[in-house]
Amino acid sequence: MMRKTENVLAEHRNCACCQDHPVAVNVQSLSAKLGGVQILDNVSFHVPQGVCTAIVGPNGAGKTTLVRAILGDLEHTGKILFRQKENGEFSEKRPLFGYVPQRLQFDRLLPLTVMEFLACSFQRRPVFFGVSGAFRKTAETYLADVDCSSVRDRKMGALSGGELQRVLLALALMRKPEILILDEPAAGVDFKGEKLCCELLETFRKKQGFTQIMVSHDLSTVAAHAAHVVCVNHQVFAQGDPEKVLTSRALMDTFGLHMGMVDLHSKCRTHVHACACGKGEKEC
Amino acid sequence: MLNAIFDFLCSLVALIPMECMKMRFMQEAFLGVLLLAPLTAAAGIQVVNFRMAFFSDAIGHSVFAGVAIGLLLSISPQWSMPITALLVGAGIMLMKRCSKLSSDTVIGVFYSAVAAAGLALISRNPNVARDMQTFLYGDILTVTRGEIVYLFLLSAAFYLFEFFAFNKLMIIGLDEKLARAHRIPAALYEYVYVGLLALIVIVAVRAAGVLLVTALLIVPSAAARNLASSAGKMFFLAMATGLFSGIAGLLLSAQESVNASSGAMIVLAASAVFLASLLFQKKG
Repeated sequence: MMRKTENVLAEHRNCACCQDHPVAVNVQSLSAKLGGVQILDNVSFHVPQGVCTAIVGPNGAGKTTLVRAILGDLEHTGKILFRQKENGEFSEKRPLFGYVPQRLQFDRLLPLTVMEFLACSFQRRPVFFGVSGAFRKTAETYLADVDCSSVRDRKMGALSGGELQRVLLALALMRKPEILILDEPAAGVDFKGEKLCCELLETFRKKQGFTQIMVSHDLSTVAAHAAHVVCVNHQVFAQGDPEKVLTSRALMDTFGLHMGMVDLHSKCRTHVHACACGKGEKEC
Repeated sequence: MLNAIFDFLCSLVALIPMECMKMRFMQEAFLGVLLLAPLTAAAGIQVVNFRMAFFSDAIGHSVFAGVAIGLLLSISPQWSMPITALLVGAGIMLMKRCSKLSSDTVIGVFYSAVAAAGLALISRNPNVARDMQTFLYGDILTVTRGEIVYLFLLSAAFYLFEFFAFNKLMIIGLDEKLARAHRIPAALYEYVYVGLLALIVIVAVRAAGVLLVTALLIVPSAAARNLASSAGKMFFLAMATGLFSGIAGLLLSAQESVNASSGAMIVLAASAVFLASLLFQKKG
């Protein structure tokens, strides 16, 4: 375990982009298959603590699969290590997650109110005996924080896409997570909602001090709000400061599939090296 | 002691000012319905949420195999039926979780195989084959005191489970991934629920028969979904619908002008409530 921790820290020191923050999650040689297809192939990266890390990549790049692996919801090879709150050691024991899924596909005819939905996750008393007054108050403040007070007694099935995302965000924040994972939080939300969502998260991050992992294919959001970026397209193409990664050709490689896979693979290695050695892309 | 309690309860039921309630078997059937109807309705809420109607049908059909196994091993069907139902339920769940087949396919295959095996064995013995009619159509009027006690204990176990698990089951039904991210052991809850459901279905087969057992579970819940504005109200509305249709069906079936199978009348009454709920359903 000691050696593992040293490796993690050594790699961390080499990454110029996050010297101010310790590593919270270290993903080592992660590979995963879905239905016999290799979705993630030897993916290694790290997530700095207490800031927003964005995982970017085109559709079908394996971003959601990566999130599922981090959440422990998917069989995989390789290691995902988390810094433990108690002793700072790394182990595979998962911390408390807050999770905002990309899309909640549920039965919209179910008569479950927003307040009941939130209570289901926290309240011991079954919701058919009502939501306790104390919980209602807490939930109302969180709903007000995500600018969604008006929906508290509405049915879940009657919410718009944006409202549903905010309710899910309120739920995730109420858990006071160590790591908050958002899978495409901006999908289905208008531009104003998206900006508000990111600003809101920043405020909450400062208040609660959680580590934020955000999956996105929207580069403008990432550039504005993330402190660390990981480019994924089945493999890690680059990771580091958004200024470095988002202006580099790695981005072109990650998203520009039309360039051809053979080319991509050779370039990919260069860029991973570029970040790992900390010298930036030019020197590689 | 037990008999004294029964006599007291029956004398209470006899206060209903109807000719048919003067008969002891009707009084006991009434007690059976009082326990069974709300129980199946409450269990049915999650059957609808989890889309398990076909599953409960499969459990219902396992009574044939249950009787056959009882014959083979010369144990009373009272024991062999619930045990077979539990095994079939666990088998379906296990196959569903471990294979990539859709749950419909898994249940379809499992259900036909189990029912066919049971029917094949039973058909070799003409005396038993005649008795199988009881299971096809059900007969609440021949319910025994022992069965009422069993029903009481099963109800107590199920309501206790619902008290602790209702909130969790709602989240699991909404989105299992979200539930697992929130550290809810979804599989465990599902297995316990399915076990209890299997036992409930087997008792319900006695009342309404294999052909109609699923209706006892899902029709009250479907009606409650149409009328309720929250999950809490849905829970109690489903139980009220179950109770109302149970009593109405039983009393109607005993009228000389009707003189029909009580199980069928109960399901008809529930269906009438469902139709009415469609007219009064709330929007939004």
